Amino acid sequence: MVRYRLLDGVKKVFLFLFSIFLLSAAVFFISRLAPGDPLVSYYGERVERMGIQERVWAEEKLGLKDSVWVQYIRWLGNAIRGEFGISYKYKMDVIEVIKGRIGNTLLLGGVGFCLVFLLALLLGIFCAWHENRMPDRIVCTLGTITSCIPEFWLSLLFIFIFSTNLKWLPGSGAYAVGKADDWGSRMEHLILPLTVLVVSHIWYYAYMVRNRILEETGTDYVLLAKAKGLNKRQIMFHHCLRNAIPSYLSMAAASVPHVLGGTYIVETVFSYPGIGTLSYESARYKDYNLLMLLSILSGAFVILCNMAVQKGAERDGR
Amino acid sequence: MSELLEVKDLSVSFDTPQGEAQAVRDVSFSLKSGEVLAVVGESGCGKSVLCKTVMKLLPPSAKIKSGSILVNGTDIIGYQERDMCKLRGKLFSMVFQDPMASLNPSIPVGKQVAEAVKIHQKGLSKKEIYKRAEELMRLTGIACPEEHMKWYPHQFSGGMRQRTVMAIALAGNPKIVFADEPTTALDVAVQAQILDMFKKLQKKLGMAVVFVTHDLGVAARIADRIAVMYAGKIVETGTAEEIFYDARHPYTLGLLRSLPMYAEPKGELYTIPGMPPSPLSLPKGDAFACRNEYALKIDYEEEPPMFCISDTHYAATWLLDKRAPKLPAPYR
Repeated sequence: MVRYRLLDGVKKVFLFLFSIFLLSAAVFFISRLAPGDPLVSYYGERVERMGIQERVWAEEKLGLKDSVWVQYIRWLGNAIRGEFGISYKYKMDVIEVIKGRIGNTLLLGGVGFCLVFLLALLLGIFCAWHENRMPDRIVCTLGTITSCIPEFWLSLLFIFIFSTNLKWLPGSGAYAVGKADDWGSRMEHLILPLTVLVVSHIWYYAYMVRNRILEETGTDYVLLAKAKGLNKRQIMFHHCLRNAIPSYLSMAAASVPHVLGGTYIVETVFSYPGIGTLSYESARYKDYNLLMLLSILSGAFVILCNMAVQKGAERDGR
Repeated sequence: MSELLEVKDLSVSFDTPQGEAQAVRDVSFSLKSGEVLAVVGESGCGKSVLCKTVMKLLPPSAKIKSGSILVNGTDIIGYQERDMCKLRGKLFSMVFQDPMASLNPSIPVGKQVAEAVKIHQKGLSKKEIYKRAEELMRLTGIACPEEHMKWYPHQFSGGMRQRTVMAIALAGNPKIVFADEPTTALDVAVQAQILDMFKKLQKKLGMAVVFVTHDLGVAARIADRIAVMYAGKIVETGTAEEIFYDARHPYTLGLLRSLPMYAEPKGELYTIPGMPPSPLSLPKGDAFACRNEYALKIDYEEEPPMFCISDTHYAATWLLDKRAPKLPAPYR
């Protein structure tokens, strides 16, 4: 048994590394195939005034002169040693660049994720409780509508209404200038992005919770529970929810990438200084080294989440 | 002896996309305390719906159209969910057909029994509750209940599960137990055991039982009185002896004749010709007429009323009308 577990663990680690390797190769080659000039992100507008000689020199300096294969192998060699190069735009180690931003994303994504799942659970229970009656129908209709609104559009709408017109809340950034340690300011900046994140994701999960619970309420054991004299509340919370929650939790873990993707979009629209904005910028301006590390980090996170779900599913003996 | 449960002219319909399905039509029966009534009939004749109606466990698509359900003289037909909750388990409880599905798969069986005990006996400590649950499980014939309580339903055999369901049903000391084909999903050897145990418990605890079954053999084993149902109606009711030795309704006779014990050696078993009518479109007149070899013309025109044969024996067939032609008794 122990040996089997060990073998299984080794297999998983290998699979993980292999996936990351494939991902890095894919991102590396595709980003180089995409049009755009990486020199712009390093030298800015100066590039336009560069002569051919200067360009060649600059490209050589950044290591862009060699064939893509050579570049990739060089990158891979460095990456294995933990050196991911410098960001063209920020001109410092990419790890440092990401370090400065990742906290913001974890805050937005983490809080957003928890909110989405907690509220979705509550909303799902609410709908299941009022199955096919007015409150359920209203929420179902509203939910279907909100879940169809694209995030970027909703973000723009919110910025337009609450930030530009009403001036209630800030529409961009993670904190007011110079107030990085002021939690009040951070919270204020989080409200709009969080709202967008929750509104656009909640219904998908709430609907699943609702249907999962209704699947349970249709079973015979609920009938027996009723027959023995339990009331609706007891049946819902002691019986149905108990059976619905494990699958909900594994679904929650599996949907981390979904919400993460949402976070990236929301970050970009709200110019929220996080990983999402950074990824967008690095892809847009061909900041290769930064893009590579960001994709690998996001990819590793997603793969780990999925593996955790698998593990959880294996463990759940029921 | 006064009637514990009295159902009068009960009609229940289901709303389906194809129209109204009449599941139970004008059913009346009564039950004294300590009595076992077997409700016998083919699948889909409304037996289960009848039980679930009394306990108000029907899905929302079902509608009680008319009738009254008197419990000790009080009509509970208008009771809402809140009031029913107080009656369920205490006044009546139910044992379902499929013991696999009627226990929650993710809760240990002991806890499920304890849950039922907890609702009905307020003010017991946790220890006392589990003690009582253990007692109930021992009562229904589960060996070493203190050990088996911790098990999950999937670790139990079908018989053990059904015993657990019975323990749950008995937790509130109900006066009436509805048993909805409790032995159908079990194999024959276990069936007999469960049935005997059930009968014994019924005697010991003195509860009344409405026992739904499609198996006349099972009914004979357990019932004091039998009601035969066909297409949502009770067509004949009487004591067990009256039904088995002096059946009058052609449908009851058909059922009796199809028992293997009446078949000739190596011969084929008797079957009633045709199919029961769809509850969506019941024929005019007697619903059984088109399958009835003794059908009279009036059977296709008008539904027969209940004819009284004795104080306890009633049957709904025009053959009992005094104007009906005299057939060789009892039309066998």
